[in-house]
Amino acid sequence: MVLIIKDEYPEKLFREDGKRLDGRDKTELRPLKMEVGVIENADGSAYLEWGNNKIFAAVYGPREVHPHHLAKPDRGILRVFYRMATYSVFDRKRPAPGRREKEISMIISDCIEPVLFLELYPGTAFEVFIEVIDADGGTRCASTTVASLALADAGVPMKSLVTSVAIGKIDGEIVVDLSGIEDKAGEADLPLAITWFNGEISLLQFDGAMDVEEFNKCLTLGKEAAEKIYQIQLDALRKKYISIQESVSGSSNASGGEE
Amino acid sequence: MEEEEGEILEDDEFEDEETTRDLVVPGEVLTEDVKNFLPGRGTILNDTRDKIISLHIGLKQINKNYINVIPLKGIYTPQPGDKVIAIVTDKNPVKYRCDINAKDEAQLKPKNTARRIKARLGRGRDYQRDDSNTDRFEIGDVLIVKVLSADRLNKPELTTVGKYLGKKNGGIVISIDPPKIPRVIGRSGSMIKMLKSLTNCNIFVTQNGRIWLKGDDIAHERLLIDAIYKIEREAHTSGLTDRIQAFIENEKIKRGIK
Repeated sequence: MVLIIKDEYPEKLFREDGKRLDGRDKTELRPLKMEVGVIENADGSAYLEWGNNKIFAAVYGPREVHPHHLAKPDRGILRVFYRMATYSVFDRKRPAPGRREKEISMIISDCIEPVLFLELYPGTAFEVFIEVIDADGGTRCASTTVASLALADAGVPMKSLVTSVAIGKIDGEIVVDLSGIEDKAGEADLPLAITWFNGEISLLQFDGAMDVEEFNKCLTLGKEAAEKIYQIQLDALRKKYISIQESVSGSSNASGGEE
Repeated sequence: MEEEEGEILEDDEFEDEETTRDLVVPGEVLTEDVKNFLPGRGTILNDTRDKIISLHIGLKQINKNYINVIPLKGIYTPQPGDKVIAIVTDKNPVKYRCDINAKDEAQLKPKNTARRIKARLGRGRDYQRDDSNTDRFEIGDVLIVKVLSADRLNKPELTTVGKYLGKKNGGIVISIDPPKIPRVIGRSGSMIKMLKSLTNCNIFVTQNGRIWLKGDDIAHERLLIDAIYKIEREAHTSGLTDRIQAFIENEKIKRGIK
């Protein structure tokens, strides 16, 4: 017998005290944690925990492209492999990459490409492997954020980092950083990515219904939220080196005291 | 045959007086004063040309009126004239393919592995050139080579003709991040001299991040490898030479080696 569990969503996405179901305010982000240099054998890597999302990203390259026909003679290419673990979602996720994985891989590569200097590496590829260990809404935004962090950790020359966040509309209200249930039961969903080099929007997808006024409000809220995430990204990147600096200066002071 | 150290007369950028300990990240604004400063290595002007922006994660350096960023991580880009350690990965009757830790595989042609024979056997008669086949090296050999030509589009070409160049027998090859190589050499070779004198090893440091070393015994070699990895890890900190010296002396006592 097949066990069928119906998707059931709560009727209201706001609690009686005006907060969201997970206790956040409308413009509050989920707790964020980032770390770089987590995978030893990769050229660059990063790990991100964003609410219940847990995502690893690893960067290899520039290296030879296989299959060879994908290589471009005048510039390098950026290949992104977004994959979800079978246990990352409630129903078992089939491990084969489907339409959704291919789409997300493509949009991540398209939205990070403008900040890279791919013309310096003709005939080669940068390969970014994104593995979603745990998913709870907004994985495409989280993956973009962590992929740009991993690329920076690999020492790939880039104009700036890329930060992404989703804005949406639930129960007629504009909220920042949708969780899984808000994404599914909400009215509209607007993931966007920003390149800090010139403050341009690099990714903008839209699903649902919203009027122009609300849309503009979403963009301003999105930019504000992205700035907060950007600071966390910068801190994570610096922390890897600063912690070594601090431990060294601390230990040398200590040994100096003993002598 | 006595082994010699690599002739790399590059200054230690990490220890320069102009190098600050400011850690910068990609996209960070280095200065908005574009009248007095010019974007140097590892930097770029933004679209409106009023900010200088870093491209790497690295250390900020101000050299005269140039702002540079010394990367802490990155890949090796071959330049003509570089002496690098290559590993033969493949060969066929007309050329060797070598891994030089760059984005492209380099090629070594047999004519570049032996000196040209000037003497002719006589008019019209062909002589047997001993550099017309690829019998000289085997797959897996470690070679010290010089880069003859390298650019963005074509595969780099190598030569083994020259001083210190050729096959290395024995020894260990380790690799570190290529941008941290100047730190292993130190300012005017101070770090490498110290490593050599303290561990009694022969070291050959090359630009592509590979280091060849050979010591009297395995204990010294292992100590040296640990020290080099420590240099790599702490490359962006100050007072490194003294710290490494103390580290080696401490470890010598701990490990009980002379």
